[in-house]
Amino acid sequence: MNRPSTAIALRLRLVSAVSGAVGLIAVQLAVGALFPAIGHTIGKLSIPKGVAQLLGGADYATITGWFRSEITSIYGPLVIGALAITAAAATTAGEEEDRILALVLAHPITRARLVASKAAAVGGVVLVVAIGAWVGMIAGVAIGGGGISFGHMTAFAVHLTFFGLAAGALALAIGAGTGRRSLATGVAGAVAITSWLIYGFAPLVSALGWLKYLSFFYYYAEHDPLTRGVGVVDIAVLALVSVMLAALAMVGIERRDLRA
Amino acid sequence: MSAQPAIATRGLTKDYGSGRGLFELDLEVRRGEVFGFLGPNGAGKSTTMRLLLDLIRPSAGSAQILALDTVKDSLAIRRRVGYLPGDWALYPKLTGRVALGYLAELRGGVDERVRDALVERFDADLDRPLHELSTGNRQKLGLIQAFMHEPELLILDEPIAGLDPLVQRSFHELLGEVRAQGRTVFLSSHTLSEVERVTDRLAILRRGRLVVVDSVADLRKVAVQRLEIEFGARVPASEFRSLPGVRKVSVEGRTVTISFEGEADAVVKAAAAHEIVALRPRETDLEDVFLRYYQAGAAE
Repeated sequence: MNRPSTAIALRLRLVSAVSGAVGLIAVQLAVGALFPAIGHTIGKLSIPKGVAQLLGGADYATITGWFRSEITSIYGPLVIGALAITAAAATTAGEEEDRILALVLAHPITRARLVASKAAAVGGVVLVVAIGAWVGMIAGVAIGGGGISFGHMTAFAVHLTFFGLAAGALALAIGAGTGRRSLATGVAGAVAITSWLIYGFAPLVSALGWLKYLSFFYYYAEHDPLTRGVGVVDIAVLALVSVMLAALAMVGIERRDLRA
Repeated sequence: MSAQPAIATRGLTKDYGSGRGLFELDLEVRRGEVFGFLGPNGAGKSTTMRLLLDLIRPSAGSAQILALDTVKDSLAIRRRVGYLPGDWALYPKLTGRVALGYLAELRGGVDERVRDALVERFDADLDRPLHELSTGNRQKLGLIQAFMHEPELLILDEPIAGLDPLVQRSFHELLGEVRAQGRTVFLSSHTLSEVERVTDRLAILRRGRLVVVDSVADLRKVAVQRLEIEFGARVPASEFRSLPGVRKVSVEGRTVTISFEGEADAVVKAAAAHEIVALRPRETDLEDVFLRYYQAGAAE
């Protein structure tokens, strides 16, 4: 890793990362404030199983179900996934398309080391957003009257962090391997959304049930950190996938010509 | 000074297909010389420089810089080389000061006094974001980052682009100092007049192939020069057509444009028989130099 390259990449993405974190805090304050009214009027929705799965069970009668449906199933992964993917694509393929890498890589730094530095910066972006999600949930749940333990909220932040890392690592691998920002953003975004849909619908068709194991979202959500804490195996899978994709990014950029 | 050349390529090729790229380049740049690399846009100059820095890999052939292989020893080479890419770019939101600070950290071993002296020499603006700088002011920063670690070899892609005449003069003086210190400069341009005053030798590239490597003085001898003469009254073209070395004469009103090879003596003396309002030398056209070499090759 190269500290100056990580610092510059992080500095350039910090405003969007902090904005995402502040946004998640604000949303959760609103979600917490709405719970006393929503919890008693909506209760548990009667909707198809797959849709309910996508919405984290759609149980609005409890504060855990309410936050699972609103935050852990939708806003949290959406914000962290979008910011991790755009940061990873911008710091690799984006800089290549903008002719920045041609100058940076004329300095005494290997391509692999530079990509590792960018991966660390993406990790920093993910961490900032995850801390925002964690702080927001603590505050939001308190406003909503409490009911989720500190440990379980921390477990959610840990799961969210590793989901963000895996999404970012995928964009990093595509960006570093192809030098095309739109491809990296588009494919990684599509995989993240498809992964969410597979998690919801694949289990409904027994023949396709195995597909859920290919979904990032499965390892992020299936263990249900808000009620069961950290799923060590799920986190290990997301960590392993992230490391493998980052390694692929390093190999990918070493083996090709930089784009003019 | 080492006997090993600063740059040596053997059959260096980068084939992009459809005749684009660089083909079988054999070139040697001696240590301590300022070497001009000329050619029109798309001739393969930037491709050569990107190959030398291992930003792209050759389809065939090889290259050495400072006796090191450009692919296997790329990292060691990059420690000893300064590079200015054509139309260079860095993070547009950063100020010049932060950008130079980042590149200095990335490289390591940059003497702040050298960097500050370059900033002063070029009167560079370090306090505005890069995206707010004019092309010329951005180019000054590009030159500073290439020179600030006092590299043994400088690879500069179109370094004069966008510089005003005063900064060009500073740049030419800097090249003279670098040469006096025994360091090597390999610089590209698409205009002969931009580099002829500062280079020892020139190579001319056309459509990815090396046309000629020669000294500036020898190239000038074969280059077709153009002189535009504005007379006080109309002068017939026939007065110049038969002069030795004259290749083409065109007349537009009271202005006669004469293309000729070799010395200007006969042309100037013939013109002096008339009232001359203005004498305007025109830039030597690289295409003319190419044509001369092709014609010479065909004659042999």
